[in-house]
Formats: sequence, C-alpha cells, structure tokens
Amino acid sequence: MNVTEYDAERHLIEAAQRDPSRFAQLYEANFDRVYAFVARRLPSREEAEDVTAEVFHQALSGLASFEWQGTPFVAWLLGIAVHLIARRWQRATKHPEIPADDLEETGVLDQTERHALLAQLVDRLPEDQRHVIRRRFVDQHSIREIAQELGRSEGAIKQLQFRAIETLKIR
Amino acid sequence: MYSHNAEQFDAAISDLLAGRALEIPPEDAPLLTLVETASSLRFLPQPEFRSRLRADLLAQAVLPPARRGLFETNPTLPMHSPLKSRAAREAVLPPLFSTGTSMLPVRGSHLAASFALHVTALALVFTSGWWMVKNGPRVRTQLAGRLSETVDYILPVAPSQSHGGGGGGTQDKVPVAHGSAPRFAKEQLTPPTVIMANEAPKLPAEPTVIGPPDLKLPQLGQTGDPMAAILNPPSNGAGMNGGIGSGQGGGVGIGYGPGVGDGRGGGIGGGVFRIGGGVSAPRAIYDPDPEYSEQARKAKYQGSVLLWAVIDAGGHPRDLRIARSLGMGLDEKATEAVSKWRFAPAIKDGRPVAVQISIEVVFRLY
Repeated sequence: MNVTEYDAERHLIEAAQRDPSRFAQLYEANFDRVYAFVARRLPSREEAEDVTAEVFHQALSGLASFEWQGTPFVAWLLGIAVHLIARRWQRATKHPEIPADDLEETGVLDQTERHALLAQLVDRLPEDQRHVIRRRFVDQHSIREIAQELGRSEGAIKQLQFRAIETLKIR
Repeated sequence: MYSHNAEQFDAAISDLLAGRALEIPPEDAPLLTLVETASSLRFLPQPEFRSRLRADLLAQAVLPPARRGLFETNPTLPMHSPLKSRAAREAVLPPLFSTGTSMLPVRGSHLAASFALHVTALALVFTSGWWMVKNGPRVRTQLAGRLSETVDYILPVAPSQSHGGGGGGTQDKVPVAHGSAPRFAKEQLTPPTVIMANEAPKLPAEPTVIGPPDLKLPQLGQTGDPMAAILNPPSNGAGMNGGIGSGQGGGVGIGYGPGVGDGRGGGIGGGVFRIGGGVSAPRAIYDPDPEYSEQARKAKYQGSVLLWAVIDAGGHPRDLRIARSLGMGLDEKATEAVSKWRFAPAIKDGRPVAVQISIEVVFRLY
C-alpha cells in the first residue's frame, strides 16, 4: 500500500466515522482479506462466516473510536479476527492459552493479500467459468451436478474448470 | 499421477475436495501450481453471504450510535488497542462512559439525578430502620392507640321526638333573671313568676311546674330560670302565657308548656340530651391517640375502657366518668386522651346542644 492508498484509506475511515453508511466502502475493500484470513483458520464455512460477520459488526461499532496510527485498516480488522478465532479455539478445546498471534507470523499479511486477490480475480472470470468455479469449490458440487444444472456435458464443465484455474494461475 | 488435461486435472481436484492424498511428483511444478490455486479456491466466500452481510452492516450503520453495539466492551478487542482501557471502564459503568444501549441519549445529568435519588432512597431505608429500632415501643404504643375504637356514642335515630320542658314569660323587655325553678307537681295551679303582680292575693296558691313531684331541683332562694345568665333586674322574660323565660305555656325556660327547660309538654327538658329523636350525634374532629401506660405495656395488658361523657354545645367533652374500668393506668390514659378530643356538637332543631354519650377506648398490643 503506497502513500496515496494510505491517504485514501484514511479519508475513507474518517468519512465512515462521520457517516457510518460509508462503512460499506471499507467493507468492500477488506471483505476478501478478512474472509480469506478467517476461512483458513476455521474448520467449516459456517464458522468462517460467523467470525467474518462478527469482525465487521464489531468494527462498525467501534469505528467511531478508531484512531489512525498509520497501519492499514485491515490490520485492525485482522486483529479483531485473531481474538475472535482464539476465543473460539479456547471454547472448543477449553485450552486457556491464546494461540500465537497469527499477524506476527512472517508473510501472513502477504498470504492473505494473495488469497483476497484470488477472490477478486474469480469475479473477473467469464460468466460460465466463474459459475463453474463457484459451484465446484464454494458449493462443492460434482462435475456431473454442474453439467446437469447448466445442460452441458461433463467434459465441457471440466474444460471450463481447467481453463478458469489456468487463468487464475497465470494472472 | 495426473496429466495436464482437463479430465485428469479434475481427478486431482476431486481428490483435493474429498480430502484424499494427492500424488503429484515434486518436479511437476505446473500441476502443483494449478492444484495450489485450486486449493485456495476452497476458501472463496459465498456471494450470497457477502451481500447479506453487507446489507446487515448497512442496517446497523443507520441505527443510532447507542444501538450499534458495544464493541468497546468486547473482550476480543486486541490487547494493544488504545480502546482497551476505555472498554474496561465502559464494561463497568456503561451509562457513564459509553453512549449506552438505549434509543434515548444517555446524559450525565440523568445519571447524577438517578444516583442522587437512589442514595436518598437508601438513606431513608436505613435511617427509618434505625429510627424504628430506637422508637419501636413508642410507635407500637401509638399504633395501639390508633387501633383504639370509639364506639357506642353514635346511636340510632329514634322514630319519635323527645318531650319534656316548658317555658313562659310575660313579654318583658328585660331578659329573664337567674333563679331556681319552683318545685314539680302533678298539677299547676299558678305558673311561676319572678315579679309578683299581686303580693296579697285573696287565694294564694304555690307556683309549681308540672313534672314528677319527687324530682327535686336545687333551690337558690330567688325564683327564676336556672339557665339564665343574669340575676338582676328581676324579669319574667320575653315569653308569653305566664311563667318564666322566653318560651310559652306557664313553665320555666325556652320551651313550650308548664315544665322546665327546652321541649314541650311538662317535666324537665333541655340540659343534656341523648342522641336520637331529632338530636344528631356529635362527631369527633380531633381525637389524639391515647397512650399505653408503662405498667400495662410491660404486662402486655389489653382491653377496653368505657367512658361516659357529655359533649357540650361547644364540642368539648366534660363530666367524663369511667363506666367500665380496665385498670393498670389505662383508665386514666383513656380519660386523659378523650378529654383532649374535640367534637362537632350534636344538633337539635338546628342548634348545637349538649349530649351524653358513651365512648369505648380499646387498648390492644400487637
């Protein structure tokens, strides 16, 4: 994030602090990062969605008190996520210790950034490829189910899947 | 082993999604990259979730700040956050340090007023308890007095009017003179008079009033109206048809007939009435509670004292007598209390009159 991007984000935060409805822009800008970070640390999609939702609700509630300290806004969001995840782990394992702060690990933010970028790239895929990718990886449907849904052959669906992932890899 | 065609790549994807082990040789970097990309796709969010959460947040954003949540109080806040200490304060006293959770704004003045009211209420509770400990016996006594019942002096109205009394006079301009009424007799030969019109009658006859002959009235020497206020000058009063007073009929007093006092017919009337027959009951308007005597309280003695009293036309109790004693100093306490009472007097013919009543004072401990 360069200086211009920092300033833009700062202005966006200040605008959202004045008018909470502007929080939607912060949400759109950071949703993929937060979800990617959370989803890789929880065992199920439902839990990932719960924690992601809680992160943003808490962020909106505390936005008025947020003080700009020069770090990206997503770092604050991921800090909330780390504690929410830790609390879930504590409840699940009844282990009193909080796991190591993932944000301190080398490359976590970069990895999160890559995963968020991948989600954004999926959105730019052609319609049929994007549909196949979401059905296959998000909904976990089989090739046969997708083929039946789209009225195409299984071979054609496999080709769409292959080309989409090739595209994502290349990009 | 997978080859780089769509068919076999999907076989690898199927293994990946099923959680099975993948057999990819390390030197097949292109396939590894593809599978790694595919693996990352498992963590894509559902578009519906994304849009639903966005809508939820927008709905939350338009709420008043106080309703958006209590993020600062959430324990999940990072420990290094500058909000942590504030969060701790707000968790303890949310109305004081946060915007609250109400739709209405939370103001410090409201909190202060609420605090003051609560402190006052608590102070009242504690001081009343302390006061009760200190003054308990007295309060119990007063309450026992409050439980005292005054009964029997409100009598039912009689179906017919009382009789008795009489009056007379010679239409003098001067008010009737004070004196004794003549004796009672079954017949009246001549009405009483203060001023003798004929001091040497040819056939003298003793003036009498009609009434029970054995009923003796005090004799003061001068004949007159016992209820009159003045002694002189001598006067038969403003009444008519003979006799003494302002009434009519040859008697003494303000009534009608040959008797004495208020009323009509004969006999003695006026004076103290009894309730009923046109005489209303007096009504207590000031009745301080009697106190328990120390002796009776220690003995936990209970019961009732019956008093006879005359409530005069001014509403004052007088001539208090104990009709049924209780003892242990309670008779005196009952008399002392009732003597302080004040009444709206009994009324007869629109005028206040004295009546005799009974008052029962009940002493009861609880």
